[in-house]
Amino acid sequence: MNGTDDLISLGERIANDDQLAYRQLFILFYNKLSRFVLGFTKSKELTEEIVSDVFINVWRRRKNIQEIMNLKLYLYVSAKNITFNYLKKLHRENLADLDSVEIEPEDPFADPAAAMITREMNLKLKAAINELPPRCKLIFTLIKEDGLTYKQTATLLGISESTVENQLSIALKKIGSSIRYTFRHN
Amino acid sequence: MLNQDNSSQGQFWILLSKKLSNEASFEELQELQSILLSNPDLHHKAEMLTEMWEQESINISAGSEAAYMRHVMKHKKDFFVEENPTETESNDPGFKKEHGYFRTLLSKKKLTIFSFLTLLVLTTGAIYLFTQKKAGKLPAEQAISSIVTKNGNRTKIVLPDGSQVWLNAGSNLDYNNSVFNKDLREVTLNGEAYFDVTKNADKPFIIHTKKMDVKVIGTAFNIRSYGDEKTAEASLIRGSIEVSLKDRKDQKFILKPNEKISIATDETQQTIEKQEKIVAVKNNAKPIPQIVVNDLKPNPTNNIIPEIAWTQNKLYFEDESLENIAPMLERWFGNKVEITNVSLKNLRYYGNFENETIEEVLSYLKLSKPFNFKIEHDSVVIY
Repeated sequence: MNGTDDLISLGERIANDDQLAYRQLFILFYNKLSRFVLGFTKSKELTEEIVSDVFINVWRRRKNIQEIMNLKLYLYVSAKNITFNYLKKLHRENLADLDSVEIEPEDPFADPAAAMITREMNLKLKAAINELPPRCKLIFTLIKEDGLTYKQTATLLGISESTVENQLSIALKKIGSSIRYTFRHN
Repeated sequence: MLNQDNSSQGQFWILLSKKLSNEASFEELQELQSILLSNPDLHHKAEMLTEMWEQESINISAGSEAAYMRHVMKHKKDFFVEENPTETESNDPGFKKEHGYFRTLLSKKKLTIFSFLTLLVLTTGAIYLFTQKKAGKLPAEQAISSIVTKNGNRTKIVLPDGSQVWLNAGSNLDYNNSVFNKDLREVTLNGEAYFDVTKNADKPFIIHTKKMDVKVIGTAFNIRSYGDEKTAEASLIRGSIEVSLKDRKDQKFILKPNEKISIATDETQQTIEKQEKIVAVKNNAKPIPQIVVNDLKPNPTNNIIPEIAWTQNKLYFEDESLENIAPMLERWFGNKVEITNVSLKNLRYYGNFENETIEEVLSYLKLSKPFNFKIEHDSVVIY
């Protein structure tokens, strides 16, 4: 759905004023970018404004869109920059920090019954994800839900790839430990 | 687990992370495999985490369609391309052709603009109508402005009084430039259009169609009446309209919001939609089974109001016969559609399409009730 080739062709169509392609890009990334931005702003209204800014910049600069090497990463970096600028303007710099970000996680299993998982197990997994340290949860979400690579995540957050690698493995280990716990007691 | 070597444990989580996020090399995958072989207790965790990782998050685009509308309305100037026919049109006989070309150039852009303008109209109050026009309706032929959409194209225009009209494919809207907005605001419609009329109590806005005239009492509305369809309809979303029939001038129907009036265009045609109430006519002179007023209801499962789905750029029908679907496809895609096998004409289908090609639409339809079709150049034969 958002494979690299598809994004390149979407970008080409947008450069040619194709609003259908633009709409498609918006719908592909709106919720994902909103989750990312909301983690910092903690305000739905502000988040909508920021994500709208991200996309209107894409439209206004569409003629140069093909100069952007990676449209997906560009969207996230742009969302982060705009978010941090807003927070600065609002004198909330303290929120522009990877250690105070609060990401709302997805349900581990949207349909536990279909996956042969008990509801209880699903809740335990969700709680384990939710209890991850802020930075760790953010990295886990960016890679699992948003499909960013280690490298993209590192670039976006301004950290090293090995930090990304470590943080993700810590996340999986912690989530994994909730699985063991359940099995001992069930 | 007690004998688990800590460093190989740590390596296990790194490798599993890499595998799940598609970052692992072939060697790393092999190494992961060998750790799993010597640590069977990690198996279940690895399986469960893999399954969790591969879950598709549902509703990934939930709410983003509405957010897109808000986004576009917030940045109107960046997206709206408008045209004012009174400034660009003349009576030059060559005009129509030129205009058609102009429209073709614009049509791609228009298609997308369409979907969000609709929201504006719906939220500011609108009426939806379906009608038919008889040629030569307008009094003075020389000053007629005519806006034509070809099959496959839709467009939006602004009338001299500021009223906005969204014209669906295969339709035309005429008005007399020299008298429009003098005492009355009169237009003639053949096809389908959605109107957002500027309020002006002194100058009623009237839409003439083949079967009926529609007078706008409230603020905004939309109309449909194609020559090749068996009924003409007027559906009102908000506001108020008065409908009078061409052949029964004494009868007037005032539509309330969320009502639709359907008129059989062929007098012998009795099969109108499921009747909910037959309108009581004042004089009660003749029985009029051909006229039915229904409540407009959004489909409970998808919340789509079928009558206005097209303004949201949706090709939508419910329990419609293939015979009726064929002309809808012709207008939507601009292809000629012919059914050569008569027995197929009464097959009934549901459809909700947005970006599909005509080939895709037909392929979906034939999945529910089979038929054959072939596409040659611009024409489609169903057999």
